[in-house]
Amino acid sequence: MKTFRILLKNELKMSLRGMDMLIFAVIMPIIVLIILGVVFGQKPAFEGAEYSFLDQSFGALCSIAICAGGVMGLPLVISDYRSRQILKRYQVTPIKPSLVLMVEVVMYVIYAVISLFSLFFVATCFFGFKMRGSFGLFLLGYLLVMISMFSIGMMVGGIAKNSKIAGVIASALYFPMLVFSGATLPYEVMPVSMQKIVNVLPLTQGIKILKNATLGLPTDNVTGAVIFMLLIGVICSIIAVKFFRWE
Amino acid sequence: MNAIVVKNLTKKYGTNIAVDNLSFQVKKGKVFGLLGANGAGKSSTIECILGTKKMDAGEVSILEMNPIKERTQVFERVGFQFQESKYQELVKVEELCEMTASVYKEPQSYEDLLTAFGIADKKKEYVKELSGGERQRLFIVLALIPNPELVFLDELTTGLDARARRDVWSILEKLKKQGLSILLTSHYMDEIKALCDEILILKKGKMVFHGTVEEAKSESGKKYFEDAYLWYTDEEDSHENI
Repeated sequence: MKTFRILLKNELKMSLRGMDMLIFAVIMPIIVLIILGVVFGQKPAFEGAEYSFLDQSFGALCSIAICAGGVMGLPLVISDYRSRQILKRYQVTPIKPSLVLMVEVVMYVIYAVISLFSLFFVATCFFGFKMRGSFGLFLLGYLLVMISMFSIGMMVGGIAKNSKIAGVIASALYFPMLVFSGATLPYEVMPVSMQKIVNVLPLTQGIKILKNATLGLPTDNVTGAVIFMLLIGVICSIIAVKFFRWE
Repeated sequence: MNAIVVKNLTKKYGTNIAVDNLSFQVKKGKVFGLLGANGAGKSSTIECILGTKKMDAGEVSILEMNPIKERTQVFERVGFQFQESKYQELVKVEELCEMTASVYKEPQSYEDLLTAFGIADKKKEYVKELSGGERQRLFIVLALIPNPELVFLDELTTGLDARARRDVWSILEKLKKQGLSILLTSHYMDEIKALCDEILILKKGKMVFHGTVEEAKSESGKKYFEDAYLWYTDEEDSHENI
């Protein structure tokens, strides 16, 4: 436990020094929130809707940090540590190299949770956000989205040949999901034909789950999305564990 | 008692035999030098002993334990310095030391080690910004942090200036007197002469000499150890040409 704490502390320090996670996982969601809040204000999501546009977008905003950590942060750090043979170094110590991976995962969970709290705080205090569903259900959905997005990242980081390839794959997953899954550009403003296409992105389904939970809509709305996310999580985890390269 | 026992170690990469049926022992409290040209199989041998590479045949024990089955107990008592030590891009000296110390149950104070190696004032600096010699000293510090009974030092003093090398030697001498066993590789014959109780010379994965520096000189009929080393490692046909 002491080992874990010290590794986590130092990895966090280094990560903060790098700034990118702070920007992409914590600051950016807040900026998008403020823009949506200022542009749409308290307007209802659609004519006659009981909830505001912002209420509807909250789940999507929470997913930005998960996406940044899981699909960008994790693959890059894992492939970087492998190519620098840092994982190999730990093979000749009393601890298992997998502990180092755990530390990285926990670090990105921390970023995501910080983002969640800061979004909740700013949205509630300044833009009249109200959680209409149950917090418990929302957190459960949040956990599911996190597990499946992180498993994608572990898979990419674990099997990519080198950090360059990992970077390319991470970008190919991250940027489309960031823009087209509804995380930044709201799903509701997209034309229907486009909505159909972006439905294949894992994060689109994840955001549907979070949105549904935030608005307190019936859970059977998202049964399909939940199954989809579970499948992604299971498949990617199996591939990551089975084909993980330590060096 | 032996710190390391290697029996019939063989390592292949495809059809290329990197280490060929190698056997040797490193006695406790002794310094053992593994010599050979680049590509002779030194690093492969070390990696097979440590278990980071899988051997194709043979048996290895470290401190009378199996380094793969009993890795936790073994690596609690073993320090290592890889040829190209790897570290995080944005890591500082103190952080790398703290993280290294955190994985062991009873580490030595890295502050004391940094002081002993003359780099205590670099604690707050980025590892990547150290000079070659400072970085090399840092990696020896990392190898000693576990307070080990045995250390692996791969290319111990490459990149160090004459003064720093002597300092490292004297620290190792002191540690050896306290019972530390050392397996090292080096390209500096003066270093081998100064430190090693026993040496093994590899050529294309095969042992061509095993004994003391003096024995190497007398067996080869050379006055200087460097000449003896070259005599053992040079290609046969170059002997014939001379």
